[in-house]
Amino acid sequence: MLRLGLIGMGKMGQLHFLNALHVKDVKMVAVADKSKRNRSMAEKYHVTAYDDYEQLFKSEELDAAIISLPNFLREDSIVQAAEKGLDLFVDKPLARSLDEAKRIDEKVKKEGVRMMTGVNYRYFDCVQVLKGMLDDGMIGDVVFATADLVLNGPLGHGRVPTPVPEWWLSKEQAGGGALLDLGYHLIDILNWMFGDLHVEYSKLGYRFQLPVEDGAQVVLRSGKSGVNCCVNVGWFSKTIFPDFNFRVNLHGTVGYKSTDDLAPRNLRVHAIKAASGNMLRRITGKQLKYLSYTYYYHSFFHILELFCNAIQNDTELPISLKEEIDVMKIIDDVYRRSGAVLNV
Amino acid sequence: MSKVVLTSTPQNFTDSDIRDAVSRAFDLLNYNFPEKVETVVIKANLCYYWDYSTGETTDPRVVAAIIDYIRAKFGDYVDISVAEADATAMKTRHCFKILGYDRLCQAKKVNLVNLSDGDIVEKETVVDNKSVTLPVNKILLESDLVINVPKMKAHNLVGMTCSLKNLFGAISKPRKFSYHPNLHATIVGINKLVKSDICIVDGLIVHGKHSKKLGVILAGDDALATDFVVAKIMGFNPRSVGHLKLAAKEKIGDVNNIDVIEDTISLEEATKLFPHSSFLMHKISWGLQLRLLDVYFKLSGDVSPPFLKS
Repeated sequence: MLRLGLIGMGKMGQLHFLNALHVKDVKMVAVADKSKRNRSMAEKYHVTAYDDYEQLFKSEELDAAIISLPNFLREDSIVQAAEKGLDLFVDKPLARSLDEAKRIDEKVKKEGVRMMTGVNYRYFDCVQVLKGMLDDGMIGDVVFATADLVLNGPLGHGRVPTPVPEWWLSKEQAGGGALLDLGYHLIDILNWMFGDLHVEYSKLGYRFQLPVEDGAQVVLRSGKSGVNCCVNVGWFSKTIFPDFNFRVNLHGTVGYKSTDDLAPRNLRVHAIKAASGNMLRRITGKQLKYLSYTYYYHSFFHILELFCNAIQNDTELPISLKEEIDVMKIIDDVYRRSGAVLNV
Repeated sequence: MSKVVLTSTPQNFTDSDIRDAVSRAFDLLNYNFPEKVETVVIKANLCYYWDYSTGETTDPRVVAAIIDYIRAKFGDYVDISVAEADATAMKTRHCFKILGYDRLCQAKKVNLVNLSDGDIVEKETVVDNKSVTLPVNKILLESDLVINVPKMKAHNLVGMTCSLKNLFGAISKPRKFSYHPNLHATIVGINKLVKSDICIVDGLIVHGKHSKKLGVILAGDDALATDFVVAKIMGFNPRSVGHLKLAAKEKIGDVNNIDVIEDTISLEEATKLFPHSSFLMHKISWGLQLRLLDVYFKLSGDVSPPFLKS
């Protein structure tokens, strides 16, 4: 049984918490969050809740921790958890800056713990299928690829409007805007598909005059395969669930494939199908495909499950820290070119 | 008798088209301005961080055109404030910047006011024989002229939102979520406490079933009457919209004698062009989806992500 702790019970932390409760052979031992309201969810599930993660580390016997804190609180918590010898599952981005990412990498190596970033977009079914097609040669040699992700970013809300956490709108605390938040996923996918990416051109957008960019276009070139990739991200679009403006398009010598063609066309119809499948699994005593009714959110469960399985079985983590450092290098390069780099 | 002017811009309107339409709307309204106007408050609708192009918030160009008109009429000395209050999920200090209001107010040399700050008084009124007490910024009570500049859009709680609902946003208390159980009475209450002298409705980009460039501007000297006309454009029976019905009962405006002045567009044409949405179907479909999800979570034990909760 893997003994898990969770630091940070914000929206993402709550999702990890609920997912972790359903991962086989995992025991959610305790959580930590400053907010009483956030801690109340853990208490509802009879999980011990601390208002300070140092106290949690001191008091509980853990094997691994999920860190789901705002970007500016991440490094300290990783350092403390690593010093306790805990393996770590951390929200993306890895850090606010490349320097911070390198410090985290060094610390993790020094303490001999394992760490994985939750780049769940890789685990969307449509992305996995696309990667399979690419590897099978169904697209031929890819000449160029485009990847788009345009949403509300922090300026959106769920079913009921909730305030935007202030740290999102601070360069110092967030480290960046749409590129670090959304571009991180797309660069991770493209780097995974093509490897050795470097920046050819980039432009940051500031339509909303925020201290961080609310849009970015980046052209990348793969030193490994020569593929040109165009990344378009933005926080400027009003998007209401279940709408989701995401796609990866691959243009190759054999043909063209897009995640748009591999994802369900109607997410409501998909929800009904996926929910029916889960009801059947429940009746037949099989494990549910958690969150599959939301299509994209299932990946959060899946990636956490992969992490827990790798730790339990002492196998290689599916996502390496080196890959995440590579993503941070690209983002750092874009910010340097635009004079938007954060020195932390 | 209340008066409502209905005018429009060309489809792909420019800044000067907007200025012309607003100016024409004012002229046709022929409002009986007080002799001396020294202070003006313009209450825009900036309910969230959605850009004006979504049809959710007042287009700053409409506010710019109003400022220009007031300055042309009363001179440069008029002290003009553009105002909005903090909301449950929106902070004006971010919103003014994100939506371009700080740039507008700097360029036009007018004040930008957070109605949740400054001199706030608790004011009491009676709605439907019940007492309603609301915190109101003094600027709304003491200005010579309050110009209400709402959006014309569908709303998931009250069906439609326009002039009356826009003043709900002027209540100083940021956590207006707490008024939702008595939403209709609160909307009527704030409109009893604060009088909108003129309403200039931004119907340039509207939000109904979807966002649409409608290119319509309305001007009214009576907030309730203006909302009655807007309700018709949006395909509602005004007397079936909860807060309008209550407002009519409370006689906060004259809806029995509305003089609709059709300028470059008729009421019928505007109604035809509006992207109608069915409030009832919206409520039923969302209510049904959420109930089905609840049942599904209970039966299956699947995870319910936090963003689907309140």
